[in-house]
Amino acid sequence: MKRTTPLSRFGLHATLAVLVVWSVLPFLWTFQTSIKFTRDVAAKKPVLWGYETTANAYRAFWLDADDVNMWSVLVYILVVAVICAALGQIGRRVRHGWPWFAAVALVIFAALWRFPKIWEANDEYDFLINSIVVTVLTMIISLSIGLLAGYGLARYTGISGAVILIIALGFRALPRTAFVLPYFFGAKEIDDWLTRTGVGSWNFPLIDFPGIDTLQILDTRLAIVLALVAVNQPFTIWMFRSFFMEVPKEIEEAAMMDGATRLQAFRKVIIPMMWPAIIATGLFTMLLAYNEYLFVRVLAPTEWTLPVAIVSLTGGESSRTITEAAAASVSITLPIVVVIILFQKHLVKGLGAGAVKG
Amino acid sequence: MSTVTLDKLTKVYPNGFQAITDLSLTLSEGEFLVLVGPSGCGKSTALRMIAGLEDISSGDLYVGDRRLNEVPPKDRDIAMVFQSYALYPQMTVAENIGFPLKLRKVAKKDRLQQVEQAAQVLELTEQLESKPSMLSGGQRQRVAMGRAIVRKPALFLMDEPLSNLDAKLRVQMRADIAAIQSDLGVTTFYVTHDQVEAMTMGERVAVIKDGILQQVAPPEELYDHPGNVFVAAFIGSPSMNLYEASLSAIDSGGYHLRLGDYQLAVSPSVMNTRPGLAQYVDQPLVVGIRPEDLEDAAVAPDHPSDQRISAKIEVREALGAETLMHFSIAAPTVDSGDPDALDELGEEDTGRCTARFSAATRARVGDHIEINVNTDHLHFFDPTTHKAIRS
Repeated sequence: MKRTTPLSRFGLHATLAVLVVWSVLPFLWTFQTSIKFTRDVAAKKPVLWGYETTANAYRAFWLDADDVNMWSVLVYILVVAVICAALGQIGRRVRHGWPWFAAVALVIFAALWRFPKIWEANDEYDFLINSIVVTVLTMIISLSIGLLAGYGLARYTGISGAVILIIALGFRALPRTAFVLPYFFGAKEIDDWLTRTGVGSWNFPLIDFPGIDTLQILDTRLAIVLALVAVNQPFTIWMFRSFFMEVPKEIEEAAMMDGATRLQAFRKVIIPMMWPAIIATGLFTMLLAYNEYLFVRVLAPTEWTLPVAIVSLTGGESSRTITEAAAASVSITLPIVVVIILFQKHLVKGLGAGAVKG
Repeated sequence: MSTVTLDKLTKVYPNGFQAITDLSLTLSEGEFLVLVGPSGCGKSTALRMIAGLEDISSGDLYVGDRRLNEVPPKDRDIAMVFQSYALYPQMTVAENIGFPLKLRKVAKKDRLQQVEQAAQVLELTEQLESKPSMLSGGQRQRVAMGRAIVRKPALFLMDEPLSNLDAKLRVQMRADIAAIQSDLGVTTFYVTHDQVEAMTMGERVAVIKDGILQQVAPPEELYDHPGNVFVAAFIGSPSMNLYEASLSAIDSGGYHLRLGDYQLAVSPSVMNTRPGLAQYVDQPLVVGIRPEDLEDAAVAPDHPSDQRISAKIEVREALGAETLMHFSIAAPTVDSGDPDALDELGEEDTGRCTARFSAATRARVGDHIEINVNTDHLHFFDPTTHKAIRS
C-alpha cells in the first residue's frame, strides 16, 4: 500500500463528495418538488429556499377523498407494522414456523382488506397491489429457477453447462427493448388463439374468479411476471452459480454419506447455507420488478404498476400533477430504502460475489 | 462391523486416465487398514469408490455379503470423515453429530442421548451448542468423527483426517482415533499420504503407487521386508538409501558387495536367508541400506573393518536422541519412483546417503570419517523389476 498524503486524501474525499451530491441531488430535487405548491414548482426561476411546504401532493396521490385523515392512515400502517414486528419476534423464538407464516399472512391480508374505504375509490391502490403482486411473484419464481439452475451449473462442469452460461450472459447483454415487442406479439398470438378456439371463455367450475370472464395473457399481471422472470433469469442464475461455487463439494458429499439423498442434501444442508445469497439475489430481483416501466407499459396497457402510474402523472402539458408525481416517487422509494438499509450487509456481499466470481 | 472385500476395483475416468488398476483388498471384521501412497496415486479415488461418490469402472465391492457397486452412498451404511471435515456451518455441533440420525428418523429423545454419548467419547460435551466456526481445528476434527461414530456404521472411511492439524495435535489425534476405533470395533479404511501415520495407526498397511497396489502387510513387516524398491523407499523416515551394486564371491567362501569404490563383506547368513540372491552373484542388483544400519565407526569401533565405508559429512542434523548425517558416496543411486521424493533430490544428487547416528557421535560437517555398515540388514532388489530378492 502506498502511503496517503494529505493532498491525495483530500482529492479522494472531494471526488467522493462530488459523486455523492451527483447521485443524491436528483432525489433531493424530487423530494423538494413533492412538498412544494404547484406555483413554486411552475415558477420560471426555480424557488430553492423559503418556499411554503405542503403535504397536498401526497394527499392527492394516496387519498382522493378529502374526508380521510392522512394521519389516521399513517397510524393504521404503524399499528400493522408493530403487529408484524411482534409476530416476527415470536417467530424467532418458536423457530418452526408455518403457523407463524400463516399468522403473518393473515394479519397482512386483514390489514389490506380492512384498509380504509379509499381502497375502492382510489386507483393508486390497485397499482400498489399490482406492484406488490408482480414483485413478489417475480421474486419467488426467479429465485426458485435460479437456485436450481445455479446449483446444477455450479456442480456440472461439462461443456454444455458453459454454453448455457454464455448464452444466458448474451441474453443479459441484449437491450431490454429488443425483447418487448416479441413478448407482446407472442402474448397476442396466444390471446388470439384463446379467443378463436373459445378456450379463453371456458367456465372452470372451481376457479371461477370474480370479475374474470375470459382467460387472457396480455394486460394481466401474469404477462408482466412471465416477461420479468425471463429477463431476470440470467442474472439470478449467474449470481447463484457464483455462490454455489463457494460451497465445497465435500459438504453435500458428507450429507450423502450421512444418509441423505441428493435432494435432501440440497434442501437440508445446502439451502440453509445459501440464505445470504438468496436475500441478496432476492433484493436485486425485487428492485428490478418493482422499478420496471417498459414491460409493464407495453404488456399491460391498463394493469399498471406504480412506476407507470407515476409517469402517467408527468405526461401532458400541464404541470398541475407534477408535484403529485414527485410525491408518488418519493413514497414508492421509501419501502425500498427501508429494505436496503435492513439487508445492506447481504446486498454488499452479493455485489462482491458477483464482482469477484461472476 | 463386517468384512469388506475389494475385488479388482478399477477406475477409468472419461478422459481415459486410469486412476486405479485391479485393486484387491480384504478387510477383516474390525480391522484398521491404512492405504498409503504419494500424492496423486489414486488413494482418495479408491476411498471415494468405496463411499459411492465415484462410480466403479469395473470390479466388485462387498461389505459383508452385500455387493455395493450400484448402491447409492446413503444406503451403503458407510460413514466417512473428510479431509476438510465438511461440517455443516449453519448447524450446531449437536445438530451436526445428530444429522445422520435425523435422516434415519431416530426419535428425538434417542437421538439426543446418542449424540450425548458420542460427544462424551470425543470430549465435546461442552461444545455441543457451538457452531463449527467457533471451534478449533482439533475440535472440528472430532465433530467430524462424531458424525461418523454416532450411527455405528458397517465401515468407517477416513480421508486424510489429520492433515489439516498442526503437528502436535496430529500426534495426539492419531492415538485418539486409533483408541476410539479399537473401542468401537468398526472396520476402518484410512487413507493418508503420511507414512508415519500409516505405520503408527494401521494394523495392516497397504502401499499404493500410480493406482497399483504395491504391498499389504503389518507395519513391522513392511519396514523389515519391503516387497519392492518403492515400498522400501516410501516407508521409513529418512528413506532407505538405494544404490546400484553387485555381489561377487571371494576365495575364502564369503561374498563381497561392490558398492561404488567400496567392498563390503557380506556374511554367509545373509545369503542363506535369501536363497534367491545366489542367482544375482556377479550380476547388477539394487541394494538398500536403512539409515539406522549406518553408524559412526568412532562410536562403535568393534564393528568388522571390512564392513566400512568412508565419507565426508556434508550436513548434520542433531535431533537430540540421534543425529542425522548426510554425505555422498560414489555409487549410482536408484530412483524409487516416489514423485514426492524426486522433487527433493534433484538431478545432481547421485550417491546421496543419509545415516542415523547415535547422539554420541562427535563428527562435524566437513569431517572425513569411517562409517560402519550393518551388512546383515541389507535389502536386495532386482534392478529391472525392482522386486525384493528373497527366496
